[in-house]
Amino acid sequence: MSHTHLSREREQLKMLVLEMMSKTTESVRHSLEAFSEMDTDKAQDVIDADNDINELEVSVDEKCLRLLALEGPVAGDLRFILGCMRVSVDLERIGDEAANIAQDTVVLSLKPGLDFYQRLTVMGYKALDMLKLAGRAFSRENTDEAVQVCKMDNEVDELNSKMIKHVIGYMADHTPAIERAVRCINVARRIERIGDLATNIAENTVFISQGVNIKHYCRFDNR
Amino acid sequence: MSKNIKLRTENLNFYYSGFHALHGISMDMVEKEVTALIGPSGCGKSTYLRCINRMNDLIPGTRVEGRLLLDDSDIYSSGVDVVDLRKRVGMVFQKPNPFPKTIFENVAYGLRVNGIKDRDFVARRVEEGLKMSALWEEVKDRLHSSALGLSGGQQQRLCIARALAVEPDVLLMDEPASALDPVATQKIEELIFELKKKFTIVIVTHNMQQAARVSDVTAFFYMGELIEIDATDKMFTRPKEKQTEEYITGRFG
Repeated sequence: MSHTHLSREREQLKMLVLEMMSKTTESVRHSLEAFSEMDTDKAQDVIDADNDINELEVSVDEKCLRLLALEGPVAGDLRFILGCMRVSVDLERIGDEAANIAQDTVVLSLKPGLDFYQRLTVMGYKALDMLKLAGRAFSRENTDEAVQVCKMDNEVDELNSKMIKHVIGYMADHTPAIERAVRCINVARRIERIGDLATNIAENTVFISQGVNIKHYCRFDNR
Repeated sequence: MSKNIKLRTENLNFYYSGFHALHGISMDMVEKEVTALIGPSGCGKSTYLRCINRMNDLIPGTRVEGRLLLDDSDIYSSGVDVVDLRKRVGMVFQKPNPFPKTIFENVAYGLRVNGIKDRDFVARRVEEGLKMSALWEEVKDRLHSSALGLSGGQQQRLCIARALAVEPDVLLMDEPASALDPVATQKIEELIFELKKKFTIVIVTHNMQQAARVSDVTAFFYMGELIEIDATDKMFTRPKEKQTEEYITGRFG
């Protein structure tokens, strides 16, 4: 296969998305560390870093728009560009969720901790594992790893349901902690959302690699 | 709803003297659909196109094996009237080739050689042909001027009108817009969208985007073989064959 101008542009686009992936993954990791340690400095760093991720999304958008307009991509090239546009939107939202967790952390840090913070952190690291695997699958265009991410999402969804049920029960008995508990429900939802967005990235990896749309039912069969 | 097969090719082999140019081509073309033939130069797509109205018969030393069915009748069986076949299967070439005659006489040419003398009938067909080829409004006031005074894009639409005047079933187009500017090209492409309501169209093109825009089905040829044929949207989003992917994404060779 000979190298064309488009194939070089495609590599540059991939590097841009991978840079965004790396920054977003770091943001999620730091937001979870900030939450578990109630470290407000780290939380503030996550909030500040969100701007870099937003700027990268704009760069990916511009690059994709230019390639679509000028190169007339088809087949694998077209799927790759469309896939990158979708992945960058998901990454930007993950960055927002990390920043939201960091903002909740800043508020929660002002009051004593609650006993389920640890469980929330565990759930957060499961979502982070999904995101890391989704990033690796995208980087290698590896369908097996991508499908693995989709399967992991059920676990995070289940943890989220249990967590919300537990926190609601806790609120009934601990009314002074209601504000903190509500924030924890928010954090749980944000983590669950990060899992969903990582799943979207994995689904897009399958689309890029195989041209198959597995959205919404998370299975891969090469039709 | 099942689709009506207009052209069926069964194990078609074609030889230029000792050169085996087409290898066992088998494919169907559906009535009132546009099929684009793509592939690198020398892949056999134009040879195949010219098999459909037996234009290759004019080249000495050529030989055909296999069957090519138009409405279930083999166009290569003995007794087929080639002139009648070419009336049913019109052709438009890469370079516009109007005759050095008036616009009217160019379109009327096919009717005249078929012995039609009814003046009203001929005039009606000329008007219909020019309307179908979206040229009528531009030339209706100068039908008796020389066709050579038309622009390249108009000349090509005139050639399409000439092919349509004899009411063919199938229209073959061999790179019909490759010698035209973008505006004239767009007109030809728009015309193809209109014409496919009435005709089955087969187009050879080197312009991938044109194939993607105008055709319902795309067939990829390489070294005399049909590598892949599928719905155009599928061919240009997820082709099955690696060779097709490499060709349409410009990574061939």
